[in-house]
Amino acid sequence: MNVNVVKSGDYSIISVEGRVDTTNAGEFEKAVMEVVNSGINMIIFNCSGLNYISSSGLRVFLIVQKRMMANKGQLKLCSLQPGITEIFDISGFSSIFSIFPDQDSAEKAG
Amino acid sequence: MIQAVNLCKSFGNLEVFKDLNININRGECVAVIGPSGTGKSVFFRTLAMLEKPDSGQVYINGTDITGKDVNINKVREKLGMVYQGFHLFSHLNVMDNITLAPLKVKKMNKSDAQKKAMELLTMVGLTDKSLSYPHQLSGGQQQRVAIARSLAMDPDIILFDEPTSALDPSMTGEVLAIIRKLARSGLTMMISTHEMSFAQDVASRVIYMDEKGIYEQGTADQIFKNPTREKTRMFIRKLKVFSYSINSRGFDMVEMNVQIELFCQKYNIEPKKVNYIQLVLEELILEVYGDSSINLQLKIDFTIEFSEERNEILISFVYDGRSFNPFEAAEESEHLGMVLIYGVSKNYGYSFENGLNTININI
Ligand SMILES: Nc1ncnc2c1ncn2[C@@H]1O[C@H](COP(=O)(O)OP(=O)(O)OP(=O)(O)O)[C@@H](O)[C@H]1O
Ligand SMILES: [Mg+2]
Repeated sequence: MNVNVVKSGDYSIISVEGRVDTTNAGEFEKAVMEVVNSGINMIIFNCSGLNYISSSGLRVFLIVQKRMMANKGQLKLCSLQPGITEIFDISGFSSIFSIFPDQDSAEKAG
Repeated sequence: MIQAVNLCKSFGNLEVFKDLNININRGECVAVIGPSGTGKSVFFRTLAMLEKPDSGQVYINGTDITGKDVNINKVREKLGMVYQGFHLFSHLNVMDNITLAPLKVKKMNKSDAQKKAMELLTMVGLTDKSLSYPHQLSGGQQQRVAIARSLAMDPDIILFDEPTSALDPSMTGEVLAIIRKLARSGLTMMISTHEMSFAQDVASRVIYMDEKGIYEQGTADQIFKNPTREKTRMFIRKLKVFSYSINSRGFDMVEMNVQIELFCQKYNIEPKKVNYIQLVLEELILEVYGDSSINLQLKIDFTIEFSEERNEILISFVYDGRSFNPFEAAEESEHLGMVLIYGVSKNYGYSFENGLNTININI
């Protein structure tokens, strides 16, 4: 698992790579919450490099989503691989999150 | 092309094989499989006269090479061998490794030998490494050089003895690709390997060695899908089943997942399904250990079996402790992990018997 944060316009883009599972979900949560806690409230998760996620990883997305809603911020996801999209569909997360096919459309959407 | 007649070999009291007979035709690719210690390497070494048979003959193109008056160097020109370890000369660069035998044994002139070496390096995709030394190459690259080196003698047949088993799994593909290419080009070869999908792909014949000789042989489909004899069946079945044990909550899941990936690679299981397998197991493990009323030292054993006929993965997940059915628990409250398991599996079942919980899942 690898997490990388860059600024793009008004957004902070968090790129997630590799696997997010129970062995590293804690680490993932810590890295992401650092961004959230720094007061940034426009976040896009670029998941193009994410190739495995389990319930432990999904829970971290849920935690971030709750925090962002409380902060009246914006959270978007983009570039999910087909296998990850499937997991989001199965878990019902697809309807909880705003998901975009690519980073460009995520940034442009209001 | 190459024929063994009543070949016998023992070491002291240990009889490795006896009265072994085989006839390999030009252009055949014969895969040799079997449990460790059944004599695959000794068989190859005996064919190459690196071991002296106790009795019996080996013919190459009609010439008996077991005779006393046979020039063994001439034999080695006809028969190349590639080993598990790469056996390159560490003090020679790639070019010199490849040209050594052609220069010394075949008395080729230097420029011809080097020209030929470059052609072979092109074939194995290593033209830019001709001046490198073995220690500067990856294991896969070293093995490709070893293949080029044995081809440099223009052998009639090459024996590959587990050419990929000493390699890091990430490198087996590049070596197998070259061997596959050689097989397709019509080179006669024998290869001992545990890579079933590879054997299925390229071998015109598969030989299963056991009980001091050739125990069963047939096409790859016959041996891998429909073996007829008891020991072959057992061996093939074991190859197809992956087993893993977990003894405590603190086990190494990263290592477990690496093992699962290696197993799946052997069967060309698509990445999506590999993810499903890992997901189901991760979620089950979390459910079972997450149930706080369960002893944290409880033991989990699971197996993964790939059924080619049904193109299905069967997972059997067994744990001790009190009876605990995660499917029931999931009905009482929302369990994200169980939702994922339902989503990716075709069937699932739970039973509790003799103190053991068993979950079967088909993917
Ligand atoms: N030089 C030797 N001296 C004595 N015994 C030997 C020698 N070489 C091999 N053996 C024995 O002969 C038997 C067959 O060994 P061999 O290496 O051919 O097995 P194998 O089928 O190649 O196994 P693996 O799959 O582990 O490579 C083994 O019991 C081994 O210990
Ligand atoms: Mg061997």
